[in-house]
Amino acid sequence: MVPGVATVVRRTRSRTSILLLLTALVAVSVVSLLVGAGSVGPWRVLALLSGSPDSEASFIVWELRAPRTLIGIMVGMALGVSGALLQAVARNPLAEPGLLGVSAGAAFAVALALVLGASAATLRISVAQLGALFGCVCVLSVARFRGVGNDPVRLVLAGAAFSGLLASLTSLILLYDQRAADEIRFWVIGSLSGRRLDDLVAVMPSMLLAALVIALIARPLAALALGERIASGLGHHPNLIRWLVVACVALLVGAATAIAGPIAFVGLVVPFVARAFAGPDIRRTLWFCLPIGPLMVLAADIISRVVVAPSELPLGVLTALCGAPVLVAVVRARRLPML
Amino acid sequence: MKNSPIRTPLLSTEPMPFTSERYATGSQHSDSDNVRPPIGFWRFGWRSASGEKSVLFDQRAVAVNAGLLCCLSLVCVIYLSLGSVPVAPLAVLQVLLGNADSMTAFVVQELRLPRLAAACATGAAFALAGILMQTLARNRLATPGIIGIDNGATAFAVASVVGLGVSIAPPAMALAGATTAAVLTFGLSAGSGTQGYRFIIAGIGVGAVFGAVTQLMLARVAIDTANAAYPWTVGSLNARPAGAVQLLGVGLALGLAAALALARSLTLLRFKDATARGLGVNVRRRRLEVLLLSVALTGLAVAVAGPVGMVGLIGPEIARSLSSSRSVPIMAATLAGALVMVLADLAGRTLLAPIELPVGIVTSVVGGPWLLWILMRPQRSFT
Repeated sequence: MVPGVATVVRRTRSRTSILLLLTALVAVSVVSLLVGAGSVGPWRVLALLSGSPDSEASFIVWELRAPRTLIGIMVGMALGVSGALLQAVARNPLAEPGLLGVSAGAAFAVALALVLGASAATLRISVAQLGALFGCVCVLSVARFRGVGNDPVRLVLAGAAFSGLLASLTSLILLYDQRAADEIRFWVIGSLSGRRLDDLVAVMPSMLLAALVIALIARPLAALALGERIASGLGHHPNLIRWLVVACVALLVGAATAIAGPIAFVGLVVPFVARAFAGPDIRRTLWFCLPIGPLMVLAADIISRVVVAPSELPLGVLTALCGAPVLVAVVRARRLPML
Repeated sequence: MKNSPIRTPLLSTEPMPFTSERYATGSQHSDSDNVRPPIGFWRFGWRSASGEKSVLFDQRAVAVNAGLLCCLSLVCVIYLSLGSVPVAPLAVLQVLLGNADSMTAFVVQELRLPRLAAACATGAAFALAGILMQTLARNRLATPGIIGIDNGATAFAVASVVGLGVSIAPPAMALAGATTAAVLTFGLSAGSGTQGYRFIIAGIGVGAVFGAVTQLMLARVAIDTANAAYPWTVGSLNARPAGAVQLLGVGLALGLAAALALARSLTLLRFKDATARGLGVNVRRRRLEVLLLSVALTGLAVAVAGPVGMVGLIGPEIARSLSSSRSVPIMAATLAGALVMVLADLAGRTLLAPIELPVGIVTSVVGGPWLLWILMRPQRSFT
């Protein structure tokens, strides 16, 4: 079959934009290595990379900034993709893990685990994923209720109520236990600083598992966008797909939250931008989310390092600052796009 | 059909009695003793130099307000008697009457009474602000806490507490913050109007930004300062800034009077703009007044207790479920808000006795599921 002219044009266009995005991602990653809150500036790093010995710079770049950049890339991918998946399955452009209380569920579970005496990193990840799963299931079952699912905005309101509830329960736990409060105080804001590469290695299996499942369900998910009947007519099982998507979102958000803390609004902004590039097809949107998510997280992280140097801004603050306007923009659009 | 009882008078008042000269002007009503009030109202008439006057009281509203007031006083006595040093309720009454031993008097009057006063005032102010905003937006979910005004006030007040080079007193800063958040929310949703949920989502966005700013300020200061400010950011009556309570008291008295004076326009504002305008309400001006009132009350209350926005949702809900739908139950909402706040603080103080739960956590643990339930049950009218 010979593809039509329009298809060819679209393919070339999306190829160029993917290439552009990848270039931007590489550039941002390099900047993330070059820039920091400390005294090691870009020129010293460049000198180091060109071969001059500099132990301080070498330590800071390879032990602090490189893991941080890698973690930023992984967290960005996970949050962006899970946002796109959640929006596709809820058919709602405002469905976002942070807004719907999935991240709050993960944070609550981690706080609970810390109070009960856990502190091992791997335990934290599985606990966070369980909490995320709980949050996902709760919010989506609310969305299945009559009236709420049809209205994107009411779903967000339900999510806000739910995450407010979980947040106050988390604070309740933290009041109870000063040790946990100290351990969690910086984690709960959402940040990439001070995370080790071990954390990343620990979450890799679940990330890979989620990627595999997504690769399998991308096509059925695209069919589901045509409507439940058409999807089952094409031989897919809508309910199975939904549950698999929920499981993937829980794996991804739980892993990202366990490393970086709850970071809201990434899952809203990234698919929003990705759809602008890719159009309505979820498969293409997912591909575009892969570079755009890390791009946003790394850019926010770099800004958080340089704005108030020598101290740092929490990452969650920055993503909220740039995500809230997008939220308002989506809501203000004359006709709220239904997915 | 003269003197036939009117079942649901459109322009009834509650709780503000209104003076009607209607019965005096018509010649057929010259015999005033025969005038019967509408069903469900008490009428008190009298003659004056300018003619016949009468006042209508909504029986149900009077009953509801009296009941709420009784509950509130009962809970207040319990509040004063419970604590790490229990005082018998009778002893509390004796203290209040002025004859008790000095130790009991100290515990009740110096330790518990100021906190009780703060709880009553903040609860009343939050609930009053809530019902005003709900009426303004014609949406029972549009309370100042949900549309981000609490968060704005908190962010500014935290800025003054942790001292980012500003040393203005917290109430002034909280007022400034509440105003900023309100301007942002209403400005951002200007295109789609104040109706519907989009306005609320814009408010959630604004609230998220201010919440992030608050977290940012807390993360930048030393841990001791952050710990000191922490209970206050979730809403607590423990860290009342001096002077803020008096200011709130004055503001609440003025605000309540103003809201009662606006009661009739508020009843009409629940209708469509065109209807309200046709019935003689200056809609734009009344809206602005109601908004200013609500924002000012929120700011003053946040300066005392931090963001306890759930009270602004729960108080009016209770009031509406008790009252008739004829009018906006302003007084009942205010009393119910005070009642909820006192109960929540009592629970927070006593449930986990050595640890004191901030009142904001108690209200949001109770109010969160309630909010979800409102959202999830089949859609009904949302005013």
